Amino acid sequence: MGNEIDIHAPGVEMRKSLCYFCHANCGVLAYVKDGEVIKIEGDPNYANQGGLCCRGNSALLHLNHPARINHALKRVGEKGEGKWEKIPYDQAIAEVAERLNQIKAESGAEAVATAGGTTRTDDWARRRFMNQFGSPNGFHNALLCWIPTFMAETCVAGWSPFETDLGKAKVVMLWGMNPGASSLGAMRGYTDLQKAGMKIIVVDPRFSETASKADLWLPLRPGSDSALALAMLRTIIWEGLYDFAFVRDWCQDFDALREHVRDYTPEWAAPLTWLTPDQIRTAARMYATNTPGCIQWGCTWDQLGTASTTTSLTLALMRAVCGNLDVPGGDGMPGPALNFLTDEEMEANECLPEEQKAKQIGSDKFKLTSWPGYTLISDNARRTWGKTLPAEWFCEAHGPSVFKAIITGDPYPVRALIVNATNPVNSYGDAKMTLEALKRCEFLVTVEYWMTPTALLSDYVFPAAGALERPTIVTHYGATDSFLGGKRAIQPLYDRHTDMVFWRKLGLACGQPEKMWPWETEEEAYYHILEPLGLPIGCYEDFVDNFRMYYPPLHQNKFVANGGFWTPSGKVECDSTILRELGYPGMPTYMGCSENEVDDPEVAERYPIVLTTGGGFMPYHHSEHFQMPAIRYLYPDPYYTLNPELAEKLGIAEGDWCWIETRRGRIKMRANVSPEIHPRVVYVPRGWWFPERDGSADLSNPFGCLESNTNVLTSVDVEDCDPMGGSWANRGLLCRVYRCTELDHEYKAADAQWSIPGSAAEPGVTVMPSDQKMARPHAPFEAPACEEAPEGFYRVWQNGQLYQEGTHFRLDESGWLVNPRTKGYHDAYTGWRYDPDSELLVDDETGTCYTMDREEVVFRGGVRCYPGPAAPYEVPEQLTWNAEGGFAQLADRPYVYDPASGWLVDPETGAYHDAYYGWLYDGATGNLVDEATGARYDMEYNPIVAEEAAAAQAGAASDEEGA
Amino acid sequence: MKHHYWEAPIVIYLFLGGLGGGIFFLASVFDLIVAPGAGPLFFAPVFFALAALALGCFFLVFELGQPPVFWRVFTTKTAIIKWGAVLLTVAMICGFVWWASYLPLLGWQWAAGLAGLLAPVRSLMIGLAGVAGFGIMVYTGVMLSTLKAHAFWATPALPVLFTVSALSTACAAIALSLGGAVDAAGLGLLVEELIREIVHEVDIVLVIAEIVVLLVMVLSFYGAGNVTAQKVAARWVRGRTAPLFWGGMVGGGLLLPLALYLAGAGTAASEVVAPILVLCGGLLLRYLCVYSDERAPIPGEERYYERLKSSDTRFMTAWKQGENKY
Amino acid sequence: MTRYVMVVDQSRCIGCQSCTVACRTWNDLPLDIIYNPVVSEGTKGTFPEVYRTWTPTQCMHCANPECVPCCPTGASQQDDDGTVWVDYAKCMGCKVCVNACPYGMRDVSHVVPRFDQYVRKCTFCRDRRAADPAAEPYCVATCHQRARVFGDIDDPNSEVSKLINTTHTERLFTELGTDPQIYYIPEMGGGAR
Repeated sequence: MGNEIDIHAPGVEMRKSLCYFCHANCGVLAYVKDGEVIKIEGDPNYANQGGLCCRGNSALLHLNHPARINHALKRVGEKGEGKWEKIPYDQAIAEVAERLNQIKAESGAEAVATAGGTTRTDDWARRRFMNQFGSPNGFHNALLCWIPTFMAETCVAGWSPFETDLGKAKVVMLWGMNPGASSLGAMRGYTDLQKAGMKIIVVDPRFSETASKADLWLPLRPGSDSALALAMLRTIIWEGLYDFAFVRDWCQDFDALREHVRDYTPEWAAPLTWLTPDQIRTAARMYATNTPGCIQWGCTWDQLGTASTTTSLTLALMRAVCGNLDVPGGDGMPGPALNFLTDEEMEANECLPEEQKAKQIGSDKFKLTSWPGYTLISDNARRTWGKTLPAEWFCEAHGPSVFKAIITGDPYPVRALIVNATNPVNSYGDAKMTLEALKRCEFLVTVEYWMTPTALLSDYVFPAAGALERPTIVTHYGATDSFLGGKRAIQPLYDRHTDMVFWRKLGLACGQPEKMWPWETEEEAYYHILEPLGLPIGCYEDFVDNFRMYYPPLHQNKFVANGGFWTPSGKVECDSTILRELGYPGMPTYMGCSENEVDDPEVAERYPIVLTTGGGFMPYHHSEHFQMPAIRYLYPDPYYTLNPELAEKLGIAEGDWCWIETRRGRIKMRANVSPEIHPRVVYVPRGWWFPERDGSADLSNPFGCLESNTNVLTSVDVEDCDPMGGSWANRGLLCRVYRCTELDHEYKAADAQWSIPGSAAEPGVTVMPSDQKMARPHAPFEAPACEEAPEGFYRVWQNGQLYQEGTHFRLDESGWLVNPRTKGYHDAYTGWRYDPDSELLVDDETGTCYTMDREEVVFRGGVRCYPGPAAPYEVPEQLTWNAEGGFAQLADRPYVYDPASGWLVDPETGAYHDAYYGWLYDGATGNLVDEATGARYDMEYNPIVAEEAAAAQAGAASDEEGA
Repeated sequence: MKHHYWEAPIVIYLFLGGLGGGIFFLASVFDLIVAPGAGPLFFAPVFFALAALALGCFFLVFELGQPPVFWRVFTTKTAIIKWGAVLLTVAMICGFVWWASYLPLLGWQWAAGLAGLLAPVRSLMIGLAGVAGFGIMVYTGVMLSTLKAHAFWATPALPVLFTVSALSTACAAIALSLGGAVDAAGLGLLVEELIREIVHEVDIVLVIAEIVVLLVMVLSFYGAGNVTAQKVAARWVRGRTAPLFWGGMVGGGLLLPLALYLAGAGTAASEVVAPILVLCGGLLLRYLCVYSDERAPIPGEERYYERLKSSDTRFMTAWKQGENKY
Repeated sequence: MTRYVMVVDQSRCIGCQSCTVACRTWNDLPLDIIYNPVVSEGTKGTFPEVYRTWTPTQCMHCANPECVPCCPTGASQQDDDGTVWVDYAKCMGCKVCVNACPYGMRDVSHVVPRFDQYVRKCTFCRDRRAADPAAEPYCVATCHQRARVFGDIDDPNSEVSKLINTTHTERLFTELGTDPQIYYIPEMGGGAR
């Protein structure tokens, strides 16, 4: 029957791999024959229980797609002309390295930036390169995805409570999250639990896949999340629905918070959110009275522009006051990986000088997610957890500001950009400006699967190895304490290489020392990461074969065991001290989203419809998979959604091509007329471009990357960005919609006109980025005066405690340093660890032991020696005391007497000898052997005759064989 | 919704099959019963019948996805199409033998021996061909009417309609070709005139019958059919297909030739134009019916397929498997 | 006797189309062939009082299939376990079965070479079950939501038997007498379960 392939045929090997097309990283079984993957299927014994989505199922199409980039390409024509020379990978690396070094010499390392997208990469390797190179200007789409939320939540409670313990939860709130189209494995869990009685609240302007299954659906005005969250928090606090005992024991400044939210009533929020006060109260009560419960993080929080971090801060407090933090059935706070290496430990952040950190673009404005905020949060994490969160993702340049710097040279010129695993035109805000930046970038290098618009404009394009060609680990951006892994199914095809290999090769070519890049493959690096776990494995593949995943023993209520939360004050901080220190309000203070009819009535007059963008939809992921005909066939055209009422008013019919226009520009999509959305809202999905076109044909819109690209509509203007986290504006923008007419149907060059700030009416740079105002100016902060710290120590003003510089160990009242990770004591002068078993101090770096008087302790054969005339223990009479060596010995034999066991130990071999005759103990037979004569004795010193000895030996030998 | 799996070649096949079958049937009736010995007059009509069936079979086989597997139809027992194939084969072989036995009419003396050999089985052959031809006429309708997924086909009226139409077109074809290749004189001429007259009268009856059956079928679907059939009927009666139905099928293909038959008896209008119109009407009928293959959709099915692209869309052909672009 | 059927739980289906893509890739189907479209009429109602149902479809493996007896070459056939399938080598591509199917679940591809167009359809992954009798059809295995359940209806302890016996299920177009063997547990909407 046709084209079937037998996965059970001889010679077919099954390899446990992980999907690499989104963050769910489902288990994939790859069937490999003769170095070729012949089939894949979902792994039934992994979290996905055999499930794979459209993306995952397309892995083989992805692997062998004719348009994949397979060789290093060097531009030979004009930029964007699409003329390439295929050159060897290493030659391309050498040429790029030379150019980067030249730019560094001329303009400083900060003139080289790198852009990433979402996890298709091992980003500690990128950071390791950038740190050694000396540039602080690496960035991802981190600010649209979790990072500002993570940082705000960490300010409140010491880590992001992102690991929901749904099994015991009574309610889950899915806020701005649609697992039904983005993380299907999770959706299954929600569905199963819902059928078992758990309630699901969905907050989403659209009747999404998930909303259609919800118990309660709150269709709010897009972007009004901060108002809804504040009104819910207010309801919970003022209706007394919070967890009194938890708040009493663990929350600081709660009374201030209660007063702060007094005016955020549901009645206040109703006109902002387009919900009724009753809906808001119902939701608040459902969440707060069904404890324990979870709030699942959703991307929306980080995509509201100005209101982003306000919203996530409010929600962080909502879960806290309801007592849902780190409890069974609540929102688990994993903390950093204490038992294996964190990404941060792989990043070599110590290589980046302070003066370079200060040059990070955007860090003067959006401090929470760049070096200023990261330093405060990270130092606090080191003090409280003993490890910290990675700098990659959590501490990055502000991407859009880097693009603006490429165009304007403000604050300084950025001349080179290495783009790895992203197509910024489609994935970053203000696509027209971003495209211009890519065109203007003096030296553009792209590491890619595909010929994206960005790759097309590059000077060098490097082929990237993808799913099935690389091993994959899952540690949630290095922010969790569990570890999941999969093998590569095959070695990369053609001249494709993984990103770690790319950064390593580039680092070495730039002159970075070999010893800083000791791992040639991911497998070696991952093994290094895992080694501290002490598992019985000899390599990374052993881990996948025998363990596949590592979870630390599930410890909830860690804050109880720890004696506090991992904040500077040790409490849940309702008025965050870190935020205040950074110049931000410590409590959530309402901000509208970047564009709304209340704050911007004159804009709303011209653009009366509310736009929400960015929702994920099957079968695509971000701007990926549009090349795959088998998938594209199912969803060939971009569709936006509008209500039938609005469609009728605007004369739009199902399937009509329409223009969607904001102040910044316009795009066209086809109409999906559906009552799933409010009559004043349109929903525009993200990512669209048309890889089937000839990219070079129209460089104002290569591959149609602007034509239906929702990011033409979004804003990255400084005043539209979240003042804390820097998230730009994707949700709740104002737009208008009209049908494409015959005369106005084609996308024109004028539609591609870029500007800074974003405005279709005023092209070019009209206001320099550094002259743009922030949505909320920083408030100066002065820490309360406190006692000065002795040299080598610093004092944390929030708790008055002293900490050692460098190690961040706390100086205890007893005069000892306390290691937060192990809770062990260390000597305050030397840093040596106190080992309670031996009652000695141990220098962990050298392994040397010291007495409490800091005198070195000598060991021979593992036996502690006491040089001096007197033995501190009773020496058996047949032995003599060696005063110089400090141990007892038998005559002049070199063996050391071990008072604990009563045996003599040979310090050379570690073998045991009997303390009367010095005979060697033979473990295999249990005999004593006189080495001089070869005679054997039993443990009672009775001689053993030869036959018995032979039999005993033979028996031992066969035992060994049997074993 | 996905439909129109059968397209123009099947339309032509059904038309030609009915036409050829009808000619065989009428030829056998005349040759064996009405006017024994009139065989030579049917030399040309039977030739056209053979050509129609051959051409129809060509279209049928051409439309197949894997034509080399065609022979398998003779290995099964019950499928309707299998019976169609058998009837076609019998009709064509017997018809051809009958026809070959008259080859000397063309003045081909080399065929005289063969004709002599075949002459004794002429009656048997035309008899078998006539029976098979009748079967083919009925079969073209029955095949569609057994496909009950299609509400508009799944009616007993359809085989009746197709049979009447097949006979009617056969009459028209006979009217156009009777006596071709034969220099009839005397009695032969009289017989030819007699047959023409009968065919003329019969076709008038058939056209009237066809109008009745057609209107009964379409209008009863329109008035009382299930949702799908009603939709199709509405399309015929007052929708997109209405001009073709009323103007082409009913007007041009039935009423106009009827009028010409009645009013212009003996003129070229009646003897040439009307039969041609009847033939066109027959083809149009098959076209309208074959393209009325709507199924009752699974809820949402139409919306689903509307959003898919046709197979010539750029992204479907932009990348060729096996070719490495970069 | 073994009689394979499928239960489709519409209350679990979220319309992700994973089964569709999975089927296309597992069976290496031509672009224009879809064995198991997940169809929906879209959202119905008036905002915000709305609802939506997805219907994952595929060959119904009818107990009384229309598409088997009509096949003139014997290519279209049914196994004893109920699986309806096409022997590609015997199929001449006349499409009578395609027209016979009331569910539109058979087709020939138009993007393959002109004279290599045989009728294709879902086989309940006959190939997977031949290699490993315990294997599920791939659309079932790949469904994250477990909206598709496959099994033997003649085994009273199978999950499908239990679901069919304890839940209200519906089937499509039973009035045609095809006795379809895909059982649907209808979506009741939101928390109405």
